[in-house]
Amino acid sequence: MPLAEMERLFQDGLLGSSREILSHVNGNAREDAGAMFGVYRNAYWARLVESLAVDLPGLKALAGDAAFDHLARAYVARHPSTTRSIRWAGRLLPQFLAREAPYRDDPWLTDMARFDWALAHAFDAADAPVIGVAQLAAIPPELWGGVTLVLHPTLDCFAVSTPVDVVRPLLLADPRAAFDRDRRRDGGLMVWRIGDDLKFRAIDPLEQDALAAARAGASFGEICETIAARVEAEAAAMRAAGFLRGWLEWGIVQDIGHDAPGSA
Amino acid sequence: MRDVTQLGFGLGLRPQHYPAILDGDRTTAARVDWFEIISENYMVAGGRPLANLMAVRARYPMVMHGVSLSIGSTDPLDRAYLDDLKALAARVEPAIVSDHLCWTGVAGLNMHDLLPLPLTEEALGHVCGRIGQVQDHLGREIAIENASTYVTFAESTIPEWEFMAEMARRSGCRLLLDVNNVYVSAFNHGFAAETYIESIPPELVAYVHLAGHEDNRTYIIDTHDHPVVDGVWDLYAHAVRRFGPVATMIERDDKIPLFAELAEELARARRIAEAAAGPDQEVA
Repeated sequence: MPLAEMERLFQDGLLGSSREILSHVNGNAREDAGAMFGVYRNAYWARLVESLAVDLPGLKALAGDAAFDHLARAYVARHPSTTRSIRWAGRLLPQFLAREAPYRDDPWLTDMARFDWALAHAFDAADAPVIGVAQLAAIPPELWGGVTLVLHPTLDCFAVSTPVDVVRPLLLADPRAAFDRDRRRDGGLMVWRIGDDLKFRAIDPLEQDALAAARAGASFGEICETIAARVEAEAAAMRAAGFLRGWLEWGIVQDIGHDAPGSA
Repeated sequence: MRDVTQLGFGLGLRPQHYPAILDGDRTTAARVDWFEIISENYMVAGGRPLANLMAVRARYPMVMHGVSLSIGSTDPLDRAYLDDLKALAARVEPAIVSDHLCWTGVAGLNMHDLLPLPLTEEALGHVCGRIGQVQDHLGREIAIENASTYVTFAESTIPEWEFMAEMARRSGCRLLLDVNNVYVSAFNHGFAAETYIESIPPELVAYVHLAGHEDNRTYIIDTHDHPVVDGVWDLYAHAVRRFGPVATMIERDDKIPLFAELAEELARARRIAEAAAGPDQEVA
């Protein structure tokens, strides 16, 4: 049998879609081929579940050991890994939980997975300098409307519907910690890293939208327009300026782009 | 840069040991000559992993050991992976880059395991061709390790030790001989481990791995979560008598003990190598 065909059969055996490989492999004097192939098959599932547990400790604490094992196996069955490092094998887990029954009925699961994943991303995302309020102050106010932001590469920002940032530390300290499962909080979470310190902050829906626009490359003027559609026009510029000042103070802005005075 | 065979006695670099290595007792740290890193753990953009890696690299020689090359896969080589491997090698300047005789997946999937190959002329030609491509891409020689295996293929026609030696001769790669893996596969498949060792030409061996395993009585699994067992130490003594002084390291990936405890285990490897070299010989 050609090598390519043998490898395909072997992989199908690991994934559980075929047992044909068993007629091509040998066990030993003590165990048959099925038992020895089972070493590989068991390791495939166990290794991925274990890796997901390491990368998503908040989700494991929230779900509990048995439920986590079940959902992790369901995820691996639906999304066999295509990443070269097992570290990234769980990248589709938040979307999986948001879409698949019964997990989609519990927003805590999706929010926690998303939060875990953002923290893992920030941990070893690219290092970069940040700028402060002084750099913005050096730009003439008449040019602010065209200012765009280069946000820090460790930054992730996403919508949540639960106060998962409050509950995660409680569950990591004690997986049996009680919390109000019916509690909801609309808005977003931003996660980033300064030096070795992982940071996170809950933001309201308006700031969540503004930051999402900034990440998409919107200018300060366009961010103001986004906000103006939601609040009084007079307050929009003030709110936008407040957001921008906060982002600069928290260290999530790597650079500012703007048109030079007199440029076309 | 020293030839890899002369590096001495090393350990796998694990994050739990960063404080002991960088800020701990210097006498203990001095008992380790070099570190082997898992390449993929440092193929990241930034943060603490890379900072710690380079802090250790400033003090110790290193070897890069990967798990994702998938040299035996019939999928195309992952050029992006090779680019990242080359970039990491440029940063780390390792004594050698190594991976395993295995495949990790086909059809774009990754099983994240070191899967066995049928040991045939077709597989030998396939693997040698890809080693050549990898060495050309990286601009350097690589070493390929014998993996522990749990099944053999009915189609296999070449003993593993002959496959390894011929692979190195044809492709120009060197061998990373994992003595524990020889022990594990010998038990699992019923061949004599000493035959394996005696069939490997000494000049092909770049360095040696030692590790612990899980003995399930009817089969052994290469788990790297226990100390090296006496049977593997005996086989290592046999190997160093045949190969002479050769760089050696201990892998530990789970139930990781204190750094000083691993350094003590490594000292046993040094004593065995010195005893094999004779009373007047100094090892590496």
